[in-house]
Amino acid sequence: MENTPQIELTSVHKYYNQGQENEVHALKDVNLSIARQEIVCLRGPSGSGKTTLLCLIGCVFGPSSGRAAVGGKQLQRMPDEFLTKYRRETIGFIFQHFNILPHLSVEKNVALPLLPLGISPREQKSRVGVLLERFGIEHRKNFKASQISGGELQRVAIARALINDPPIILADEPTAHLDSRRSHELMEYLVSLRQDGKTIILTSHDPLVTEHAGVDRIVDVQDGCIVSGSR
Amino acid sequence: MHSAIQQQLNILDYGLHSLWQKKGKNLAVFLIFSAVIFLLASFQFMSASLGKTAEHLLKTVPDITVQQLLAGRQVPLSTESVEKLDLIFGISDIRLRIWGYYFDESNGANYTVIGSSAPATDPLLESLLVSGRYPTEDENHKVVLGDAVIQNLDLQNRTHFSLFRPDLSQISLQRVGVFQESANLLTADLMLMGLEDARDLFAMQENEITDLLISVGNPVEISTIAEKIANALPGSRVITAQQIQKTYKAVFSFRSGFGAACLLASLAAFVILAFDKALGFSREDQQEVGILKMLGWQTRDIMRLRFYESLATAACAFGLGISLAWIHILFFDGILFRPIFLGWSVLRPTLTIIPYIQGRDILLLFAFSVLPYLAATIIPAWRASIVRPDSVV
Ligand SMILES: Nc1ncnc2c1ncn2[C@@H]1O[C@H](COP(=O)(O)OP(=O)(O)OP(=O)(O)O)[C@@H](O)[C@H]1O
Ligand SMILES: [Mg+2]
Repeated sequence: MENTPQIELTSVHKYYNQGQENEVHALKDVNLSIARQEIVCLRGPSGSGKTTLLCLIGCVFGPSSGRAAVGGKQLQRMPDEFLTKYRRETIGFIFQHFNILPHLSVEKNVALPLLPLGISPREQKSRVGVLLERFGIEHRKNFKASQISGGELQRVAIARALINDPPIILADEPTAHLDSRRSHELMEYLVSLRQDGKTIILTSHDPLVTEHAGVDRIVDVQDGCIVSGSR
Repeated sequence: MHSAIQQQLNILDYGLHSLWQKKGKNLAVFLIFSAVIFLLASFQFMSASLGKTAEHLLKTVPDITVQQLLAGRQVPLSTESVEKLDLIFGISDIRLRIWGYYFDESNGANYTVIGSSAPATDPLLESLLVSGRYPTEDENHKVVLGDAVIQNLDLQNRTHFSLFRPDLSQISLQRVGVFQESANLLTADLMLMGLEDARDLFAMQENEITDLLISVGNPVEISTIAEKIANALPGSRVITAQQIQKTYKAVFSFRSGFGAACLLASLAAFVILAFDKALGFSREDQQEVGILKMLGWQTRDIMRLRFYESLATAACAFGLGISLAWIHILFFDGILFRPIFLGWSVLRPTLTIIPYIQGRDILLLFAFSVLPYLAATIIPAWRASIVRPDSVV
């Protein structure tokens, strides 16, 4: 088991708006293999297809052609409903702007991924409590998300990504809007998740991320193709 | 608990919670919806109550009523005309009546005065007495009163009181009975007395009355007999029970139809507003849906979420609107709608409305308000639900 890759993409193509005038060929013949507990950073210029690749790994959509296996499941030709169901059990997302809902409390925000899983409110509370304590924001749990500091916000975002205990954590340019101290802090948190057995995939062109000691591998993406680091 | 059920409960909980968090945004729709329900429900309750009233009133209409006209207006009828009707075969009973209104200047109230040749057996008043007795045919100055009259005159326990004749001399009367309250519609403002007393009160001539009430033995003969009466009494207006019913029904259904159309129009306007509001789906809303979908909510979960939100809004507004309508009818006598139903003042100027509210009407209101509202929110809910999850990355 240890040796089977956690993520395996073979000859993957991804088109947006396939067959239409505004068709975009966003991923071209991508081959990529990522092992369990690996920390991988996708790097490349704007528009190269990093986010698209991340969404593909995150089961947001399947490949237009080729084969994609994530956590041992084949994603090609799977209906959206299946992808969604699989995504909520397998993937934790950390977004660029964190995408925390401002009108909800910290506690409710962190619990969001548990709602469609049919987890009871009591169980939600106890799981959220554990994570907030781990990240030192227990005392903010009843604050509205719009009322907490930026540093607290990023910890809320990480807690939310971990709440369903997913094997894979994805982060799309997590440091793009942070100063260097916050960026460094965030990377330390992310890298520490390896101990929980998580596989972590980031996109970034921030040297603070790409040159971080915890990152195992850089995958260079250019114009929809992986130019190095595909292994 | 089964996780599929828990999942639905979680979605419901989330919906209610975020509705509460964003209550300011939904307030306008909530209030307008409540107002529409209020109007619709008041209207419906009012119609039902009046319908009930009409039913009561029509039940007591005599087979044939005869009045005298002069220049198209009602004038007193002479008791001599009764003799002219003696020859008509098929009439089983003739009753004389004076029906008028007494204006009480001291408090601006109008009372209905009925002077009857046989008060105890007037079909209008059958078994409505709660206490006391009816005046007998040869008694004078004895009356039966409705409770509104008793209150207005501030009689309390006193039985003797007096009213003014047109020349402001006084006529003293004694209360011998009280009408029961549940028959309020008919009797609240009523004074029932003997024919002589009514004639005295209104200063009418010795042999004058206002109506002849005629009972007919065989109902199929009513129209032929009515025709014969009309021929025997030139210048009279002869009205059969059937005609009265027809007239009232026509007036009533015209008025309620008119009102219903207005209200439906306002409901439609509201639905359009709700639709419009829901279509104007803000960037934050879109963002929220994208995030939820990214975090594993299915398209149908978003639809359900929206549905629960709409349902909660509509149900609360419905509850509020119905309650207010109830209060409007129960405690304020449907005051806002009285002008619409003004036609009824022809029948009785001081109509008191007893609320007549049925579960059936509430269901009907629900079907005509909450259901269209929910239907109107389906398309916006669907539009919200198809936001792509990757729109937020
Ligand atoms: N939903 C979409 N519909 C159509 N085209 C899209 C869509 N999303 C991305 N694209 C196109 O696909 C290509 C790859 O986009 P992607 O977002 O993956 O790039 P990126 O490497 O993440 O860029 P950035 O560094 O700016 O975030 C771009 O040309 C983009 O315009
Ligand atoms: Mg991107």
